Amino acid sequence: MKIRRFLTRRLTFIIPLLVGIVFFTFMLVRLGGQDPVEMLAGPTATQGQIDRIEQELGLDQPLLTQFGIYLMNVAQGDLGKSWISTRPVLDDILARLPVTLELLFLGIGLGALVGIPAGMRGAAHPNGWFDQIARAISLLGFSIPTYWLGLVLLFVFFYLLGWAPPGIGRISMMVIPPPTVTGSYLVDSIIAGDWEATRSALGHLVLPVVSIAIISAAPIIKQTRAIAVEIYSGDAVRYAKACGLPDRQVRKIVMRNATVPILTFVGTEITGLVGTASLIEFVFAWGGLGQYGLNAIVNGDFAAVQGYVLALALFSVVVFLVVDLLVVLLEPRNVDAT
Amino acid sequence: MTDTAVATPRRRNVLTSRIKGLARRSPTAAVGFAIVGLFALGGIFAPLITPYDPVHSFPREILVDPGSTFWFGTDGNGMDIFSRVIFGARYAFAIAVPAVLLSLVIGVPLGLWVGYVGGALDEVTMRVLDALRVFPSIILALAVVAAAGPSVLNVVLVIGVLDSPIFARVVRAEVLALRSSTMVEAAKAAGNPTWRIVMVHLLPNAIQGAMAQSAVRAAWAIRISAALAFLGVGIQVPTPEWGVMIRQGAEFMVTGQWWVALFPGVALMILMLGLNMLGDGMQDLLNPRRRG
Repeated sequence: MKIRRFLTRRLTFIIPLLVGIVFFTFMLVRLGGQDPVEMLAGPTATQGQIDRIEQELGLDQPLLTQFGIYLMNVAQGDLGKSWISTRPVLDDILARLPVTLELLFLGIGLGALVGIPAGMRGAAHPNGWFDQIARAISLLGFSIPTYWLGLVLLFVFFYLLGWAPPGIGRISMMVIPPPTVTGSYLVDSIIAGDWEATRSALGHLVLPVVSIAIISAAPIIKQTRAIAVEIYSGDAVRYAKACGLPDRQVRKIVMRNATVPILTFVGTEITGLVGTASLIEFVFAWGGLGQYGLNAIVNGDFAAVQGYVLALALFSVVVFLVVDLLVVLLEPRNVDAT
Repeated sequence: MTDTAVATPRRRNVLTSRIKGLARRSPTAAVGFAIVGLFALGGIFAPLITPYDPVHSFPREILVDPGSTFWFGTDGNGMDIFSRVIFGARYAFAIAVPAVLLSLVIGVPLGLWVGYVGGALDEVTMRVLDALRVFPSIILALAVVAAAGPSVLNVVLVIGVLDSPIFARVVRAEVLALRSSTMVEAAKAAGNPTWRIVMVHLLPNAIQGAMAQSAVRAAWAIRISAALAFLGVGIQVPTPEWGVMIRQGAEFMVTGQWWVALFPGVALMILMLGLNMLGDGMQDLLNPRRRG
């Protein structure tokens, strides 16, 4: 079975990659930046107290030993405790992951829904009026600072028009959040049949999702157009046209040929947009994994930073794997190439 | 682009005709070039253009609306936003130019080297660069700057290093394509040493793609540095840098003082638009097939 062999090969590559990433962040966080002992002990602590805290945290051990201990703990599912939330990092991450995924996938989904057809249509008539407009919009999307776009949307739709809720959190404070099933307020409130909560959750989602959609549509339009233009000038299309196929049929052929490269591109976009989504979370006080990670990095929360980075890396790996698997399923001849 | 302009009439004719030629072949690049040039001039002559000192605070003029005295209004510290926006161009270029140069200095030789030598070296380097791609660059930059401490120099170093793989990739791809070409074969047969083949035959051909990328990468550098400042890492208040100014104005966006964050954001957006247009235009000029 070719697909099974493909999967085992990919999965064996993942373990050393993850260990490398954990090592890299471990050293980065330990060697530079804030000293957690000083922050915990406060300015009046004596040397004896500092030594005791160091011993308790295991920070008096050599770095490589510390790394070994950390790695063993990670393998057993223990990511340590966050200084800030004083909760296990794994719990923090698991609670916030669905919150971020909801935002990210809705945003990119909307971006792709607009961007892919726009790019395809632009490529059908290069330099036509539609193409010109689509390219201009794409250039603009590349140039807008993400967080600033979020702020401007808040100003217009919250302050001026009063249509959107204030940019704090995921649901109105007047509404009782639905019981947790998936962690996404939107899905949970639908499951609970609570329409008031559903409306509130949806209302809070609109601005951040639109911000991410605008930012993500720009590269999707550009890349889709480039891919489709290439295919339009290729032999398959020339042959189809020579056979006298109508435009609708030609478009279908282009679509079929463009699926794999577009899918691959959107996959890499998802991992790249995690950073953008974090900034949007920060602006809208979203309380997801992105905001958690930013806070952890800025405040030197060691265990939380490492847990966050590990979660990011795992997420990217899973996305790449799913994309590659889809590519293989769509085009089995690629199994050996990847 | 062209040689530095010498003030003889003959030279100037060459320069203007080249600019006209560029405008005809790629209007996008020409418009982008004009925007970037305008911002560069604004940054250089900032003290002459601006009506006030960018960090002078007027204690009685806090959060004044845009008007005839303060064109873009004043911020929460009573500083003139117009002056701060103009001076902000200096920080944008002061970060983007050295950061992109650093990326070129690291990335181009690396790409040349692994591309020409090939084999296991190439394989390992590319896998390491692939692994780095797992992280969004803003997160990596944030982590390193938070660890190394906030300063303009650290921001430049981090962005320069993080962006160098892009140039390495572009140059490597070109070198791989050229390595087995007749041109290189002929150079080898003529008895050229390796360094000469790499420097004289491969570098000039491979570097074009990297140069075309540099404008887009400059836009990226400005974007990342502003985002870091916005998050409170990197450049600090009250420096007249656009990301810092947007951070200062964020709270006022929901209370109605829109001008504090709007103007620096618009400046940032227009400069990035100019750089992106310049970059796109240059890539189209180099690769006519992409024009479609």
